[in-house]
Amino acid sequence: MQASLQPAYLLHRRPYRESSQLLELFTAEHGRVGVVARGLRRRSRGGSPGALLQPFSPLLVGLVGRGELKTLAGVESGGGLAPLRGDALLSGLYVNELLVRLLHRDDPQPAVFASYATVLGALADAAPVEPALRRFEGELLEALGYAFALDHDALAGTPVEATRRYIFEPGVGLRAQRPGAAGTSFAGEDLLRAAAGDFTGSAGRAAKGILRSALRELLGERPLRSRQLFLRRRERSREGS
Amino acid sequence: MFSPALEALVDALRCLPGVGPKSAQRMALHLLERDREGAQVLALALGEAAERVGRCQRCRNLTEAPVCAICEDPRREAAVLCVVETPADVLAIEQAGGYRGRYFVLMGHLSPIDGIGPEDIGLDRLQTLVQEQGVEEVILATNPTAEGEATAWYLTDLLAADGVRMSRIAHGVPLGGELEYVDGNTLMHAFSGRLPVSR
Repeated sequence: MQASLQPAYLLHRRPYRESSQLLELFTAEHGRVGVVARGLRRRSRGGSPGALLQPFSPLLVGLVGRGELKTLAGVESGGGLAPLRGDALLSGLYVNELLVRLLHRDDPQPAVFASYATVLGALADAAPVEPALRRFEGELLEALGYAFALDHDALAGTPVEATRRYIFEPGVGLRAQRPGAAGTSFAGEDLLRAAAGDFTGSAGRAAKGILRSALRELLGERPLRSRQLFLRRRERSREGS
Repeated sequence: MFSPALEALVDALRCLPGVGPKSAQRMALHLLERDREGAQVLALALGEAAERVGRCQRCRNLTEAPVCAICEDPRREAAVLCVVETPADVLAIEQAGGYRGRYFVLMGHLSPIDGIGPEDIGLDRLQTLVQEQGVEEVILATNPTAEGEATAWYLTDLLAADGVRMSRIAHGVPLGGELEYVDGNTLMHAFSGRLPVSR
């Protein structure tokens, strides 16, 4: 049976039996799918399928089967993308972990697929990592139905004012901080800049804090392991300086 | 169908990779019908190995001594340390010959999705080793996968302050290979890692 090829990315793979692998693919048509790939050590013209199947590179895959686990019927390169290096690579692992944790299997997410392609493109181009990640996190939350506006006071129903301070409540959104109230708050000015797509300096830090607490709500108790890679590195650079 | 002891043997054999019920049954019957002596030897060797083989205190490779033979060998250069993912990688490099330094075996790679972080693969131990044992060069020989690269990058960053020379093994076209049969990713690596030639 010939399966038609569809765009996909490899999120994760682990060995399965003798020469097979269990793949976690993110496909354009079916969302995240679990796939068995057999005989990946074979060699063929244009490279062995095992070498092609790497995270962060666009693929075209053919899948067969109806159950929860599909079988890989074919894989081709979907166009070259420079391999991720350094911090971009760690960021890529972070993005993949987010998708594996937050997307359900066999739930098509075309918007997330497009955002994912965009963030990988930015990471491969050695663009600044943080703004690309913020944009992706925002788009992911939106696609999953947890959208909130950075320039809107969700409680009062009014636009955010540059001179006031706001607090973020997961599930609700931003609301103006009462005078004298404690807790983490964000400057209205930073929120307006972040809403306009400017993630530099304090606006970037505000967006990061807000997106992180929104994601934490979805992720539950178990922390993201890839974020710990960054945390530990930051601690070290602080010790060094 | 079988007696309890035979049943237990078949079940036990299935823990081996690539061994299903049918092959396990074949193995068990072979050992009992045709090769009792082999079965005794196997049982003894298995018991011995499972009991005594642990990790080398220095390089984390599998050994029954506190420190493995490679780490003990005075002819090996202590200043060069090769970081690999598994004991099988050590064997592969040793069989290839030519490397005279020592090893550090991570027993895995950084893989956030599998919940494997830096301390799970002994990176704190590696850092102490580099700082205390006069290592001058670290060769990063983790696999050319995303996780292997991430591990290599994390290590580069971790050891940057210790003033050691870091190098990464080259990736590219295999010897005797044909470009036509090499995948695009590998070819791209081979081009970006090209070396100047001279007469």
